[in-house]
Amino acid sequence: MDLQSFAGPFVPEIVLLAATLLVFLLDVVRVRDNEIVGAVALGSVVLALLLVLADLGFAPLAVLATVPSSSIDASVTGAPLYSFTSLGLVFQGLFLLAALLVCLASLSRPKDERGAPIFYGLLLLATLGMVLVAIASDLIFLLLAIELVSVPTYLLVAYSRRDARALEAAMKFYIIGALSTTLSFFGASLLYGAYGTTNLHALATAEAAAGTAGYPVLVLLGYGFLIAGLAFKATLVPFHAWAVDVYDGAPTDVTAFLAGGSKKVGLFAFFLVFLAPILFVRTMASGSPFVTGSVAVGPVLQITLAFLAVVTMTLGNVLALLQKEMKRMLAYSSISQAGYMLIGIAVGTAPALAGATLQILAHVLMKTGAFLVVGAVAALGVGPLIDDYKGLGQKRPLLGVAFGLMLLSLAGVPLTVGFVSKFVLFSAAVQAKGYFVWLAVAGLLNSALSVFYYARVLKVLFFDVAEPRALATGAVVGGSEPEILPVGGLGYGRAAAIALVAVVVVVLGVYPQPVLGAIQNAAQHFVNLGG
Amino acid sequence: MTDLSVVGFLGLSSALLAVGIFGVLTRRNFILLLISIEIAMNAAILNFVYFAGFLGGTSGLTGQAIAVVLIGFAATEVAVGLGIVLALNRAKGTINVAQATELRL
Amino acid sequence: MILEELAFVFLAGIAVVTAVLSLLVRELVHTILWIAIFFVDLSAIYFLLEAPFLGVLQLGVYAGAVTVLLLFGIMVTRKRIFSREAATGIGAVPVGLALVTFIFLIAAVGEFSSAPGTIHSYNPSDLSQNLFNVNGPWLLLLGLIMLGAVGGAIYLVREGRE
Repeated sequence: MDLQSFAGPFVPEIVLLAATLLVFLLDVVRVRDNEIVGAVALGSVVLALLLVLADLGFAPLAVLATVPSSSIDASVTGAPLYSFTSLGLVFQGLFLLAALLVCLASLSRPKDERGAPIFYGLLLLATLGMVLVAIASDLIFLLLAIELVSVPTYLLVAYSRRDARALEAAMKFYIIGALSTTLSFFGASLLYGAYGTTNLHALATAEAAAGTAGYPVLVLLGYGFLIAGLAFKATLVPFHAWAVDVYDGAPTDVTAFLAGGSKKVGLFAFFLVFLAPILFVRTMASGSPFVTGSVAVGPVLQITLAFLAVVTMTLGNVLALLQKEMKRMLAYSSISQAGYMLIGIAVGTAPALAGATLQILAHVLMKTGAFLVVGAVAALGVGPLIDDYKGLGQKRPLLGVAFGLMLLSLAGVPLTVGFVSKFVLFSAAVQAKGYFVWLAVAGLLNSALSVFYYARVLKVLFFDVAEPRALATGAVVGGSEPEILPVGGLGYGRAAAIALVAVVVVVLGVYPQPVLGAIQNAAQHFVNLGG
Repeated sequence: MTDLSVVGFLGLSSALLAVGIFGVLTRRNFILLLISIEIAMNAAILNFVYFAGFLGGTSGLTGQAIAVVLIGFAATEVAVGLGIVLALNRAKGTINVAQATELRL
Repeated sequence: MILEELAFVFLAGIAVVTAVLSLLVRELVHTILWIAIFFVDLSAIYFLLEAPFLGVLQLGVYAGAVTVLLLFGIMVTRKRIFSREAATGIGAVPVGLALVTFIFLIAAVGEFSSAPGTIHSYNPSDLSQNLFNVNGPWLLLLGLIMLGAVGGAIYLVREGRE
């Protein structure tokens, strides 16, 4: 096997790894300027994104395609550890988009802030992990790739070193993350014991073939532990409590990466692990989950995931309504959005998967953007409470409008990408009939509920007059006058990232066809492969 | 040739996982939390090892390979945890979860 | 046959008892003692399971490296090494949750026959073949995780000139 065919498909990953090593090397030779290191990181992420877009068949970039098109969506034989699916490539693109936005915004970190190389190095390493999650087709490969995301993110939360709040958040994040990893590996070990393999395709095939020889309780327990372990990563409701504290305590750029990027890894793991057994249900005629000695895992998983979806949406929205601080409100709204995405997996048809993927794309844009705005606003000396944002829309109309667009999209208002994704998702759930219709109803009711708290922020932004007292608090914190960045204190990078999100949210909301078509195509292929 | 029953091993790993979960939920010292997680992780590794022993053949070999990787991974995880703990200890002077109360639950 | 079963029951008993003790004793240094015995005991179980390579690895990594790391963690974060922890309550909910987990898992036991089965042994060279060829990407991923862990952890504990 020559190098070309061996390493060829992994050029995006190699680019990211090379940039990581380069950044660590720059730290060793004491080149620690935020601009230089950030430019290396940003360049590698952009390059990787272009390569992935080329692999997806984006015509103008066809020269750059690295994965041979014959091996995309090819049916897999044997037990390989990774395989290329077009849905996986779409997710690679999403993950790289989140990393791109965070890198771009971090270019305008204050100059006196230290640790630029370690920040970008860990960010790139986590991005590499996310990209590898998207091609996993083996349970252990998947879980290790998720760890490659988790371990750098634990350290990213703590990277400021002196900030006790952030360190405490890192400690909580670490304990919960390590526990969830252990639960996932325990679940994987039970599945391995039942079927003698950890390959996801082989597991699904063995499930479909297992007659009376299966170990139903062992398998159900294995999937149960996997749901618990992965739900921690994806912030689903009984396992969500850490997320708000961590999102609140972490540096805001890192929060943007966690909420916009690394949390989606858990959701894509749900796609990979649970979709195959759900899809196999359709070929098994049995109505009862328990046939003597064997078990059709699918229906049990579907009910469980549907239940988790409804609970996650509802509780996330209700708690978001009660929040007074902007970051915590956005964190709870992020939790509730994970519930919408789970609908797509519970329904398990191609249109529903496309809806969920589009919802994840929308969420990557909106939530990363929103947290970047919060970071920018905090850098301008505005306090953390929602009430502190009074009159921001009048003082900084452009920033206010961008933030307003993101919030409208989060609420699912027409002409934004948030509306399109919810429309596709809920209509797919309705088409699937059965109790899935109720999932769509629950989703719609929750969307209506969420409008309340987004509208409240919009009212504060544009219609409330700023109180002089609120402006005075937190203007000068550290004693020394903070350095004034260009573009009204935002810096070019952050302003560009926010503007990019605002524009894309509207463009995709008005004209979603190209992206939607590609995603629907990918989802159809994914379903045809059997997950 | 050793002959043993799966049942005992499954019982042992279940008990260890239960002890680990109990520890994570009740202990407050960070080092004890790390130890709880390691006990639970050892339960998972033990699962892979004995299932590998009973399966035999290529799939059994895979199980042992997973166990090797997991032992290395667990050690890495402990190192990361200690890094965070040392930084926290320097910043706050305590490593007890209950005393670190800047964030509300 | 009966000897092996006796050995297993003995080792399993020690494992559970040391695991519980390591979490319940109030002097952290004693905790390390118990957890070291726990790791050594598991290594013995791996030898019993005809996995000598894993047994040695468990001894070297867990009983050696992890134990020393934990001991260092205690030594660096406390003024007096042999001080006692405040007693921590046990709580009904955590015990209940742990018990529920245990009972669920024990339900799976019913699916296996309690008759002894053969335990296969593997050649370490076959294991390394498997580890470096077929499942090589796992080791690659582990290496990448270690890169991030080492880089980040060193940065965290390094005293910067600030």
